[in-house]
Amino acid sequence: MLRQEINELLTQTGPRTPMGELFRQYWMPACLAEELPEDGCPPIRLKLLSERLVAFRDSKGQYGLIDEFCAHRGVSLWFGRNEEGGLRCPYHGWKYDTTGQCLDVPSEADNSSFAENVKLTSYPLVKIGDVLWTYMGDPATQPPLPEFEFAQVAPEQTYTSKRWQQSNWMQAFEGGIDSSHVTFLHSGGLKTDPLFKGAKGNEYNLNDTKPFFEVADSEGGLFVGARRNAEDGKYYWRITPWVMPCFTMVPPRGDHPIHGHFWIPIDDENCWAYSFDYHPVRALTPEERQAMIDGHGVHSENIPGTYRPTANMDNDYLMDREAQQRGEYYSGVKGIAIQDSSLQESMGPIVDRTKERLVPADSGIIKARQKLRKAALALRDQGVTPPGVDPAHHRVRSAAVVLPQAESFLDAARDDVRVHPGMPVASV
Amino acid sequence: MPKVIYVGDAGQEHAVDAVPGESVMVTAVKNGVPGIIGECGGNASCATCHVWVRDEFLPLVGHPDDMEEDLLDMAVSERREGSRLSCQIRVAAELDGLTVDVPPEQP
Repeated sequence: MLRQEINELLTQTGPRTPMGELFRQYWMPACLAEELPEDGCPPIRLKLLSERLVAFRDSKGQYGLIDEFCAHRGVSLWFGRNEEGGLRCPYHGWKYDTTGQCLDVPSEADNSSFAENVKLTSYPLVKIGDVLWTYMGDPATQPPLPEFEFAQVAPEQTYTSKRWQQSNWMQAFEGGIDSSHVTFLHSGGLKTDPLFKGAKGNEYNLNDTKPFFEVADSEGGLFVGARRNAEDGKYYWRITPWVMPCFTMVPPRGDHPIHGHFWIPIDDENCWAYSFDYHPVRALTPEERQAMIDGHGVHSENIPGTYRPTANMDNDYLMDREAQQRGEYYSGVKGIAIQDSSLQESMGPIVDRTKERLVPADSGIIKARQKLRKAALALRDQGVTPPGVDPAHHRVRSAAVVLPQAESFLDAARDDVRVHPGMPVASV
Repeated sequence: MPKVIYVGDAGQEHAVDAVPGESVMVTAVKNGVPGIIGECGGNASCATCHVWVRDEFLPLVGHPDDMEEDLLDMAVSERREGSRLSCQIRVAAELDGLTVDVPPEQP
């Protein structure tokens, strides 16, 4: 159970809320680079942290993220014309550059300085890897650019997708640090998914349904260790890093690419699930990349031209109870990503955590909530920079290792959960 | 046998003989003391065994660990100076007469 006021604190991320201010300390994904594919392409609408924005790429290739609405009379600039050096409102021709500065108000006299005094709210938008990143906080405290490994390896080694999830970010994120659901919900996928199957570790996963959890602090968040029995008096540990506020990685399986997520609040009742896969040593094979595009692994099959999953709330996620009976999908829903989103959306847009019943397997969730709460309050009350802002905190990996029973997981695997560029991940 | 005294919301007292080594939560549940649930079985995960330890016993019962701290911060209805999860307090001879107040409701 969680007290109601803490549930509100954790789930509300609009302007001037404590958690909203916390998110505004970090660089975070604003959209995929593929959404603005070329100079002068059409602008896109975006809502982030309950702010309505327009992203565009001007004729010179500069990226901008600005207030969605024209300063004149509030028209959506999604209707804007992406012209030479700026986005022009089609209503009365006001034109803005990528910093939100108004360049032209055609109705004014030629010698008027009116436009100089008009500026829309704007945020930086920077391409790193397949993602366009933004920072929505005070420019005076803008941190260095993010250094997550998935966005730093060569383009042929990485793939990122996104999907719209109709729930608060927090219940999506909590799924990302909850290893114990995998044995049940995703058991079908461990046997059949092309991006998961065949790893030795999958057997440990499926054979031991009672993982023991240990949680350790890291500089940027937590490492959640899930321990299952292996053979010969050893333990199989799956180690999930969380970098505050909303970056999580799934422990690897065999030599498959390694994957993870960002859980980005759109508003308090919707979020973007960014899903990435990369291999630190080699290019993704054509088969792997195609499987990702087709929505296997942690990715989703989306309605063409959108980021809404084909299987969604309006069609009961294409529930297939016969496939459930056959043992193909444990829940009857196809695909790892939609298995998660279907259940997380079923909780309602913001789950009432005053009614939940937690168990020891939820210890990672309890710890993460407490870290978020403390960081949000320390920022609000004392201006303390939260964990995860420093790019050094981004250089973590998940790991899946077999260790002697006597060893502490983090002592034994400390080196395995750090990024070593060009070196393989620790995985069984 | 050490005694543990549980005081309910309306002042009703339950004095119970306790087995040393067992937790204050288990002692309550075994003896049918109302208001202490212990849903997670004593793993400091559910916070349904919250009690307020009387001041004079506070130095004797020790301090909560990290996980208990987190739950006292986030999950109990009203955290006070003496707030503890009773599953994390072991009964011992020197705790004879330990008196705890039981909150009117558990999560």
